[in-house]
Amino acid sequence: MVTFSQWLRGNSERYLLERAQAEMAKRYLDRPGPPAESGLGPLFWRRVFVPIYRRLPWGLRRGVIQAIPGSHRRHWQTRGPIRRPPVV
Amino acid sequence: MPPRIVVVGGGAAGIGAAGSARQVDPGARVTVYTEYEDAAYSPCGIPYVHGREIPDFQSLFLQAKEVYQQAGIDIHYETRVTEVDLGRRQVEVEGEGSVPFDCLVVASGFDYADPGVPGADLDGLYYVKNIRRAMEWDRVLDDVRVAVVLDASPLGLEMVTALAHRGIETHLVDSHPWPLAEIADPDIMQPVEESWAELGVKTHFNTRVEALVGDRKVRAVRTSEGELPAGIVVVCTHKQPNTSLARRAGLAIGSTGGIVVDERMATSVAGVYAAGDCVELPHGVTNIPVQGLSGSHAYAQGKVAGANAAGGDRTYRPVYVPWGMVAGRWMIGGASFGETLATALGIPFVMGVAEGISRARYYPGVKKVRVKLLAEPGSLRLIGAQMVGQEGIKERADFLAMAIMTGVTLEDLAWMENVYSPPIGALNEPIAVAAQNGMASVRG
Repeated sequence: MVTFSQWLRGNSERYLLERAQAEMAKRYLDRPGPPAESGLGPLFWRRVFVPIYRRLPWGLRRGVIQAIPGSHRRHWQTRGPIRRPPVV
Repeated sequence: MPPRIVVVGGGAAGIGAAGSARQVDPGARVTVYTEYEDAAYSPCGIPYVHGREIPDFQSLFLQAKEVYQQAGIDIHYETRVTEVDLGRRQVEVEGEGSVPFDCLVVASGFDYADPGVPGADLDGLYYVKNIRRAMEWDRVLDDVRVAVVLDASPLGLEMVTALAHRGIETHLVDSHPWPLAEIADPDIMQPVEESWAELGVKTHFNTRVEALVGDRKVRAVRTSEGELPAGIVVVCTHKQPNTSLARRAGLAIGSTGGIVVDERMATSVAGVYAAGDCVELPHGVTNIPVQGLSGSHAYAQGKVAGANAAGGDRTYRPVYVPWGMVAGRWMIGGASFGETLATALGIPFVMGVAEGISRARYYPGVKKVRVKLLAEPGSLRLIGAQMVGQEGIKERADFLAMAIMTGVTLEDLAWMENVYSPPIGALNEPIAVAAQNGMASVRG
């Protein structure tokens, strides 16, 4: 069974990548992007979700992504930049 | 009383967990259940046996079965765990009944995504995973004239190259505009495509698979661009986490479909750990969970999970994903993410690109290396990298992943010290030149 967060991530990732691939294919290879699937669902993601997502500021997008449940919401030790010599 | 540790899965994560548990607590009673005939071999090596770079499958085994017995690890082969009862702290094992545990490590790996087209149940579809089946398929390949590989995933790239090396007419069908399009950038992959063409590979990008055609055995692949005859179809679709057992047991599942874990590889239930392709982990730059990494990731995670299951206290870190592989005549690799994924997610970045060389320009065997660096605007901290070349890619990928983790900037890299020795390194390190170019582009 696919949960809401899986459904949301699966679709958003797919259509955001599809748009980016189309741009990159044109820029680097002079090729068209992936063939578009027909139907109302793909149309919504392509024509509504992707343009809205792209207009949002990165900070807001990041906030929404971080709010989705998953391993990133649990405790993880991170390492910050190392900016001093090891022996001082 | 020594702890009873049950490990579900005998791949890299499962074996890593079992060994590590015994190291932390030599008295621990560790039982591994695997549904396969073998454990602890390198499935990643299978394409290279098919391609004849490696002479036999035997060399892919890491240890003989007796070694695990002697190490106190009780591996039950061809034995399926059907349920996990977290309330009673026991697993249900086919043919053995209920087996109690104090701690459980779930290392159930992955399944290939169903191609999702009619004919997916035909004979003649090869899913590269189990070494025994690979041995059988290797004999089949002796008589195959035409092969079709579905999806230009990492495995797809390896299999295309292997089949071409073997002299089989190979077709690659993928719905994206270039190979490995979910990971690598098109400029990085272009030399690979060219070298495949030289090897006789026929690529079909922007092409959807519509059906697998045949009576009992597949004989063709119907695509949006026409029908391709096929003596064999190698299915290299996305690796999906195998979490059916974990889901039924009630472990939390994340947005990737992988099991949710923390830095100790602990799941949402106390005393239950998970590792490998069945879990999701945060990406070190974006903090977005990712899933389906390499065998080295799985093994390291397994070691953390096993140590903690045995009473230790080890932690794993968010991942920066150094990657690399051979495709066609090229090596490709990188760390974190590339321009395509950054563009898709809308992550702001500045970029530096350089074409350098792998050895002194006059030294025989010198190869071109293309390096592409992505950095955060303003701070210029490195956030991603991709490369293509013919040597030295893996080492650079490992280095760049560490550079990203430790907050190295384009400026640091632009003036980095580098090894200069004509047979192994050029005067100008391509990474440094890419960083200098990146800084120049920022300055305008």
